[in-house]
Amino acid sequence: MNADAADRRKAVRRTTIILVAIALAFYLGFILMGLLRA
Amino acid sequence: MTTAVADAHDAHDEHHGPQKGIRRWLFTTNHKDIGTMYLVLSLIMFFVGGTMALIIRSELMSPGLQFVHPEFFNSMTTMHALVMVFGAVMPAFVGLANWMIPMMIGAPDMALPRMNNWSFWILPVAFGILISTLFMPGGAPASGWTMYPPLVLQTGDAFPFLIFAIHLLGISSIMGAINIIVTILNMRAPDMWLLKMPMFVWTWLITAYLLLAVMPVLAGAVTMLLTDQFFGTSFFLAAGGGDPVMFQHIFWFFGHPEVYIMILPAFGVVSEIIPTFSRKPLFGHDSMVYAASSIAFLSFIVWAHHMFTVGMPLTGQLFFMFATMLIAVPTGVKIFNWVATMWRGAMTFETPMLFSLAFVFLFTIGGFSGLMLAIAPADIQYHDTYFVVAHFHYVLVPGSVFAIMAAVYYWLPKWTGHMYNEKLGKLHFWLSTIFINVTFFPMHFLGLAGMPRRIPDYSTQFANFNEIASIGAIGFGLSQLVFVWVILTSRSGAKATDRVWEAPRGLEWTVPSPAPYHTFDTPPKVRVAQESFE
Repeated sequence: MNADAADRRKAVRRTTIILVAIALAFYLGFILMGLLRA
Repeated sequence: MTTAVADAHDAHDEHHGPQKGIRRWLFTTNHKDIGTMYLVLSLIMFFVGGTMALIIRSELMSPGLQFVHPEFFNSMTTMHALVMVFGAVMPAFVGLANWMIPMMIGAPDMALPRMNNWSFWILPVAFGILISTLFMPGGAPASGWTMYPPLVLQTGDAFPFLIFAIHLLGISSIMGAINIIVTILNMRAPDMWLLKMPMFVWTWLITAYLLLAVMPVLAGAVTMLLTDQFFGTSFFLAAGGGDPVMFQHIFWFFGHPEVYIMILPAFGVVSEIIPTFSRKPLFGHDSMVYAASSIAFLSFIVWAHHMFTVGMPLTGQLFFMFATMLIAVPTGVKIFNWVATMWRGAMTFETPMLFSLAFVFLFTIGGFSGLMLAIAPADIQYHDTYFVVAHFHYVLVPGSVFAIMAAVYYWLPKWTGHMYNEKLGKLHFWLSTIFINVTFFPMHFLGLAGMPRRIPDYSTQFANFNEIASIGAIGFGLSQLVFVWVILTSRSGAKATDRVWEAPRGLEWTVPSPAPYHTFDTPPKVRVAQESFE
């Protein structure tokens, strides 16, 4: 694997982790909002 | 450049082609295979949802109860919406994204190919579960696709299956969205700068962000419904101190951006097709990007226009009314740019262009009726009438569905390597366009006259327009058989050239037709490709 491919792989992993975190934050955030309001 | 890319593909295919038989489709990580599976699933679900629509329209053909029980009628309206939204329109656009985005940005495949396989295969399971509810004690969900509590909590054995299916659909959409964002941000060919990307890619990038933000919200809402039903919580149960209106707020925080999830990729498709058949570059590419981004942003702050009748402070009504009207500005920019692209262009009217033109006209009708519904005091009158049904069907059928059909006709020669039957394509277009208007235009009048939606029977004063709408629906349904025939027989058409059309732009037209199993193993030179079109 050349350096470019390795960098791209790292970038793909980093972006994926950030996006998964955003999705989880929305999911848990809205349930938490429901909990606080109930 | 075309030759160089083609040679590279041919060499590669000798070593690494698709697997044989069913394994190819079960275990594939190839974006083209997965795109094909999405599109086939979408077509199947289009007919499943269409059959449900025909059951609804048959029942409404004349006043009185004729064919089905009212409970089953309610299940049909609910399931028709869920199947069409999550099973037909969304997977069709994901299928197009899978097929085209890597080729349009010069990437060899999606960034996360294994996850791509999972994203797809979750869907048939989810729809299997959803459709199985039709055979369960208590029947399929019948509370409308909005699933408002406390009504939805009266669903029979189907309830947990509905919730599970929605969760699976959400997971699939989120994984698909993540894959598309990661691919576009990380896999573009050198020189494919963000603002150089084709509009279809741009609109999908924006759509994917919307999906990422709102599908978890829907999942959260249905998780809370589940715990209210089975775990003794009272998120939405007034008796336990909960608030059923909160569900409506959460649902529409998902639901309104969902509308744009179904229409932004359609904008992208039309923005690809109109320049090709006008033989001019897209007018105002960058302003189209900013307009799509503005629409996406505004879609997050207008959700309560779906709930004007629920009761809210005047300031709230004013805010949501004006914010909703504001969406007309970037949408107007888009319509203007499409018209300006056509202005003094050397236009021809092949099937994809006809569908795109119908999109511009008929989506605009849906947009205008949307503006009428945005006016809070008027909406009190229109709410829950057939006017609303007419409005969103104009947005979704001659809007989203026509754009999907335009896209299929536009890219089919690139997928199959053969030209489809143009005469039959045009026949399909004219039949669809006539019947869609026969179906949905009278619904405006029914709604303005006060006919409520989601009812199996109605007053005799609504009989004539209902009969016309039902005849239109049957005609539209039958017209789609022409579409299937055109697709099935497309491989027997004339051989397609690599560029297929006279003046297409974009990297996808630099690869051979049909597109090889692997494309762009070596990143293409974007500038060379662009110069070849000049």
